[in-house]
Amino acid sequence: MSQRVLISVVVLVTPLLMSSPLSAQMGEHGDDLSGVWTNFALESARSYQNSALRADPPPMTPWAQERFAEAKPTFGPRSVPVRETNDPVYDCFRPGTPRIYMHPFPMEIIQTPGRVLMLFEYDHTVRQIYTDGREHRTDLAPTWMGDATGVWEDETLVVETVNFNDKTWIDREGVPHSDQLRVLERIRRDEDGNLLIDITIEDPVAFTESWTAQRRYRRVDWNIEEFACMDNVEFAAYEEEVLDYDSGDEE
Amino acid sequence: MIRKIVSVSLSMTGLLFFASGAWAHHGGAAYDETETITVTGAVTKFQFINPHVLIYIAVTEENGDTVEWSGELTTPIRLARIDRAGAVTWSKDLLQPGDEITLSGNPARSGAPSLRLRRVIDSHGVALIGGGN
Repeated sequence: MSQRVLISVVVLVTPLLMSSPLSAQMGEHGDDLSGVWTNFALESARSYQNSALRADPPPMTPWAQERFAEAKPTFGPRSVPVRETNDPVYDCFRPGTPRIYMHPFPMEIIQTPGRVLMLFEYDHTVRQIYTDGREHRTDLAPTWMGDATGVWEDETLVVETVNFNDKTWIDREGVPHSDQLRVLERIRRDEDGNLLIDITIEDPVAFTESWTAQRRYRRVDWNIEEFACMDNVEFAAYEEEVLDYDSGDEE
Repeated sequence: MIRKIVSVSLSMTGLLFFASGAWAHHGGAAYDETETITVTGAVTKFQFINPHVLIYIAVTEENGDTVEWSGELTTPIRLARIDRAGAVTWSKDLLQPGDEITLSGNPARSGAPSLRLRRVIDSHGVALIGGGN
């Protein structure tokens, strides 16, 4: 290539590279999902979306039904007081995926070269979605939040998360899953700029078939602040005082 | 214990904030959601903390006894983010010891002087939470 042609190419291409905020992600298609997002319930989901993915429990195998029966959640129709619960988040274990979406705190999406980060205000939980083409790791033990990789299909981020342990709940009402859980997500913005996440749950040990749910978020100008799970420890003492109160009335 | 018990319809405008699902609250099992109690007194403690903001007031009962009532709300950051027109701005300094306020909410099933708060009204009749007057 002659020097003149080379210079022309550089002059023409450089502004294109510099103009996009995602210019560092050369070669990646995609949308800009960055920002702080807060749950914006779909109208049809308002009655349950703070604690469940669907209005009714998903199609569970006998294995899962047995564990579901043993669960003592603090939300939903089977709710118990905090001191009676066996919900792992009250021991401050990570909530898992997709359960993290149901905790009513905002999340921030941060897009960097090769990764999309989700920073959740709930206990500063982080998901790293690798978009650099890597495979899932097979050398590490199962994790609470799963191992997530993503690819862009035009302006939709398609995420696959695997390698879960079986110690989290799918939701806040006690739906279990096994270590065979595979969570597929299609994350995109709708025509109003809201974030839509289409979730598909696959787990042949826990569910008789795969099933789907959808979450919606709206953009806010908030900062991610701090909600520390361990603060629940002191509140448990307050709740015990309320539950165990003895008025001593003889009326 | 003598208490004022007011049954309030869930159609009350001030409850829209909660009915929208914006605040799903664990521990609902400890409170009777079919009843509402209202108490008035001076603030003794205001804990703007996670996981639930706690407000304590000294209530003088009809027999002259003073009972400390407590009420719990959602997380402090969710209160601080309320941004509706005319809404009060919540902060760790919103309530001071001695402020006369009214707490209204679901009573504890145990009979404890504790509420799951639905409304908080200051001495000027301004609703700090729960909307309307």
